Parts: sequence; C-alpha cells; structure tokens
Amino acid sequence: MANFNLRKAEPKDVPDILRLIKELAKYEEMEDQVILTEKDLLEDGFGDHPFYHCVVADVPAEQQCSLTGYSVIGFAMYYFTYDPWIGKLLYLEDFYVMKEYRGFGIGSEILKTLSDTAVKNRCSSMHFIVAESNKAFIDFYKRRGASDLSLQEGWRLFRIDKENLLKMSAEE
Amino acid sequence: MEFTIRAATLEDCKDISRMILELAEYEKVSDQVKIAQRDLEQDGFSKNPFFHGIIAEVPEHLKSKEGHTKVGYSLYFYTYSSWKGRAVYMEDLYVMPEFRGKGIGKALMSKVSQLGLAAGCTQLNFTVLDWNKSSLDFYLKQGCWDVTSDLGYHCMRCEGDALEHLAQGGL
Repeated sequence: MANFNLRKAEPKDVPDILRLIKELAKYEEMEDQVILTEKDLLEDGFGDHPFYHCVVADVPAEQQCSLTGYSVIGFAMYYFTYDPWIGKLLYLEDFYVMKEYRGFGIGSEILKTLSDTAVKNRCSSMHFIVAESNKAFIDFYKRRGASDLSLQEGWRLFRIDKENLLKMSAEE
Repeated sequence: MEFTIRAATLEDCKDISRMILELAEYEKVSDQVKIAQRDLEQDGFSKNPFFHGIIAEVPEHLKSKEGHTKVGYSLYFYTYSSWKGRAVYMEDLYVMPEFRGKGIGKALMSKVSQLGLAAGCTQLNFTVLDWNKSSLDFYLKQGCWDVTSDLGYHCMRCEGDALEHLAQGGL
C-alpha cells in the first residue's frame, strides 16, 4: 500500500475527524473525555474565524481496508498561537494515523506538511504536548529535534476548567 | 487601589513591549526577547490578530516611580481542544512589582476568564515555570490544576534548524 493523499480538511470530513479524535483518545484511555460533537467541529473549523485547521490523509477507494471501510485514515489538527518573545507559533493539537495504515510514511508526511506550513507562515516554532507515559512518541519527536520544555526548562501546563472559570469571571 | 481593566489598543503596544521585557527579566531570560513594539502592533492589531491584550491602568495620581499608568497586562488567544472544543490560552500575565498584592493580577485573570466564557470556551490554559513558587501558589488558589503534574503532559517544542529540517522531509 503506497498511495495516499494529504489534503486540507473539508466540511464533509467532519464525521471522520471526530471518529479519529475518538480513536486517538481511546488509545490514550481517555475516550470518555471527548465531548466535542460534529456540530462543534463544523462550526468551529469552517466558519469565518476558524478555531482550528485540519489536514487529512485519505486512501483511494480500492485501497480502503476491508476491515474498516474508511478512506480518511489519518489527520492532524493545528492552530496558530503567539509567543510575545518570538512571535507566531504553530501548535499541533492532535496527530493520528489509524493502526492499519501505520508504517507507510503517512505520519512522517503529515509532520513534514505541518512543519512546512509553520515555516511558510513565518512561525518560529512548532509546539505540542505529549504524555510522559508515551515514550514512543517522545522519542519519535526527540529524534526529529524536538525539545522537552517541561524537563529542560521546567514548564508546567496549568488548566482551569469551566466551573472554576465561572467563579473566577464573577470575581470583582 | 483604584485601577481599570480594559482591552488593549495599538497605542498600548509601547507599554506592553516595556512590560514584556520586564516579565522576561523577572524570568531571567530577557536576551530571548526578539519581538519589538512594531511586531506587536502588526501581529495583534491587524485584520487577523494572533493575540488579544488587556491592560490594567491606574489614575495619574497613582502612577509608578517612572511615571507609568499602564501597570499590568495579559496577552491571550483562542485555541482548540480536540476533546472539549474552544479554549482560551493566557500567554502572559504580568503586574509591575510595585503594584502587586492589590488584586490587579486577579482582576486581569478574571477578565480573560469572562472573555473566554463569552467566546464559548470551556477551559483556560497557561504555563508556569516550576521555580516560580509565588505564581504557582497564586494559580492553585484560583482553582487551577497542574496538568503536567497530574496527567504527565510535557510541553514540547520543535524550532529553528530542527523545524526546517523536518519541513524538508528530513527524518
């Protein structure tokens, strides 16, 4: 199997994007955490001011795996962020290729496309999060020159969820 | 202390740039700041801004030793969680040292929360350096949690030559 195509996601890809998001979450044992719907993805990714961008990998009909029956078999979700010291950055939110289609260079090609997008948009850097338990991914990225800012510089990602966000926004 | 929180304008970029440098000095890395006032103006105040800003301002009679009335700021932008949807990322939060302890930092963060919620966000994310104990304590008191500690998420970066190499298909 060698034929695959990388392209910008279209509204019709939304059901497949959600399916792949859930598959990736399942792999991370967090499937119940996905509350996003197709409606959210459509509104947030394909309106006037998209919150995210997506590339998808698809295979021609004749190469659809008879087990899965899908033609969209990989995706990456990203958006642009900003560091006031160095300017624009590309943030890689999700990156996944279905198990049956790994080992054919699709993941590497997606990463290449995204890096190219980052460079063309004059981004200084590409940022992303990896769970420390995911040693395979950390090594994959480190081999390609990524630094672990949490280990090297002590960056800790903090979050405040909706309930506390509401409390905080009500404070005078 | 009397202060107001408002949306940043193009004219505020001079003071934002000044305070960015002050924050970088506080984090002991001011030599890493490559962005100048004109970059902020272009990147934050054109048709498709890459960030938004809010400013904390005090009245003239409370101005700083050097005569500044713009005494704090926050820079934020909208991001996306593939699990939860719209989110807001607070990139910088800074109050000049002589104006701390008066509720300005909390007010700035409260404003970012309000703006995030109004835009349909369900999360506010940001990073803190592990040695910054006073900031860590402040945030934990506001109901934030440490994702790196609790879920083991590491922030990764690919930049410069490594990024160029990856873009050219170098593996």
